[in-house]
Formats: sequence, structure tokens, C-alpha cells
Amino acid sequence: MQGSAKQPPLGIFPFLVAATLGVFLWLIQFVFFKAPVAQAEAGGLAQKIFYFHVPSAYAMYLCGVVCLVSSVAYLLSLTDKWNAWAQAGAECAVVFGIMVLTSGPIWAKKAWGVYWVWDPRLTTSLLSVLVYVAVVVLRAFAGDGEAERKFAAALGVLGTVNLPIIHYSVRKWGGNHPTVISQGGGGLKHPDMQLALGIGFLAMTLLSVVLLALRARQLSLAARVGRAEERAVAAGLTEGT
Amino acid sequence: MQQAQGTAKRPEDRSTEFVAVEGGKETASAGTLLVAAYLVMWALLLAFVWIGWRRGQQLATRLDSLEKALDRHDSAKS
Repeated sequence: MQGSAKQPPLGIFPFLVAATLGVFLWLIQFVFFKAPVAQAEAGGLAQKIFYFHVPSAYAMYLCGVVCLVSSVAYLLSLTDKWNAWAQAGAECAVVFGIMVLTSGPIWAKKAWGVYWVWDPRLTTSLLSVLVYVAVVVLRAFAGDGEAERKFAAALGVLGTVNLPIIHYSVRKWGGNHPTVISQGGGGLKHPDMQLALGIGFLAMTLLSVVLLALRARQLSLAARVGRAEERAVAAGLTEGT
Repeated sequence: MQQAQGTAKRPEDRSTEFVAVEGGKETASAGTLLVAAYLVMWALLLAFVWIGWRRGQQLATRLDSLEKALDRHDSAKS
């Protein structure tokens, strides 16, 4: 079979994985042992959750953008490659989104005394993650026909359109969510706090690239296997399932 | 919409900065929450990687059956 010889080389991927692990170890060491404790109103020690909560939200945006671009590219080209990247973007956006929606409330319990309030940023974040969950569920249970793929791509575009609303909700509407690093915020008042956040962004960027590449490659392979199965059934080599 | 329903604070009342505190008096619960948050994050990541690994195995099974079908076809021809 020709397809089995077309496996792409790993290239820089092993180095990317090694770099991700290294940066994560650095992040954990820095956050736990070097970054200073913040004021009690910000959650004190629990404020250190911020150093992966915010980068996780950024990684969710990144995966959402990948989902948007790939979904649009799929709708224009109808190729397996873009479908795979759109699906990988949605799945990774769900993973990072759940990280945001679990780490945030854990911090809020300390800083606000409650896990959840219907703050505009929290609510819009939840809605966005739910849209990506809908994309993943649709792809998992509605089959892999062209109509389902197109519908999932359209839903992926819709989920990403919601992301700027999350970003601006904190400035436009009332609520409890801090605005430390976005426009109008006072920022992080210690160089080690800034460095910890920088490492967090780097770690989550690398992690999102690794997860996206891994999942997109796997989905592309699954699509190729699917096509080979269809050909095998058509040629009478196997029975369809 | 000037004020979100169910929230008491105005936009200008929210925190706008995090300030380092010398010595940082802390309760144990904040440490527990911090560790819990990290554990949840790693659990999510591991779950995603594990699901991916399982999907890889399913893919390998499908490839195996395709190869077996091709082998059967080849042996029937020869």
C-alpha cells in the first residue's frame, strides 16, 4: 500500500516536546519557589494559580484561532488536512478552556470566597468552551460525512467569534474578574511575577503547539485510514462496518 | 449594559494590580488550593494524552485489519 510509505518524518517534534517539558519544569520551579506571594486580597499564595490560569486562557484563544482559520480553510477547500486541524483546534480549546474554568474558580474560592459568580468574563468563557464542546461532541457522535464536517466547521467559527467578547467583557461590563494585565490594569508589581507569567506564556504556547500538532497528525492519519477502508470495501477486500 | 446581573461591583472597583508582599503571611488552604489547581491541570493534560493514545491504538487496529485483508487478497491471487 502506498499510503503506509507516506508517513511524514518527526522533524523537530521531539525537540519541541523536550523544550515543552523543560519550560514546564522551569515554570513549576519558578512559580513555587521564586515568585513572590501576592497581597491577601488577590488570593495570597493562591494568586500563583494566575501563572498558568492566564496562559491557559491565552492557549485557548490560540487553539480557537487555529480552529477558526482551519474551519474557514476547510469550508473553502474541503480537504482532510484542514478538517483535521479544525478538529484539533476545537479539542485543544476544550482542554485549555477546562483548565481555565477549573483553575479560575479554585483561585476565586480564596480571593472572593466563592467558586463561581455569573461575572461577564466567567460567563462568556463558559459559553465559549461549551461551543467548542459542542463541536467535539458533534464530531464524535454525528459521523464524519461532509455535511457534518461543514456544520462542525461553522460551529468552530462561531466559537472563535465569541473569544473577543470574553476579552472585552471585562472592560465593558461590571464584574469581579481582575484586569491585571489587560489595558487599564495596574500590572504585576514585581519583576519575578512578570517573569513567572512570561514563562507561563512560553510553556502554554509550546504545549498548545505540541498538542495541536499531535492531534492534527493523528486525525489526518485517521482520515487516510478511513479512505483506505472505503476503497477496500469498494474493491471487495473487506466488509463495511 | 452598565452592570452585570448578579454582580455587585462596578468595572472601576475591580482589582487592577497584583503587588508582591514581603514574607507573605498565608493560610494552609491557599497552598492546598494552589496544589489542587496544578493537579487538576496535569490530570486534564494526562487525560487528553491518554485519550489520544487510545485513539492511536484504535487506528492501529484498523490498519491491522486492512493489512490482513490485503494479505488475504494477495494470497488468494497467488
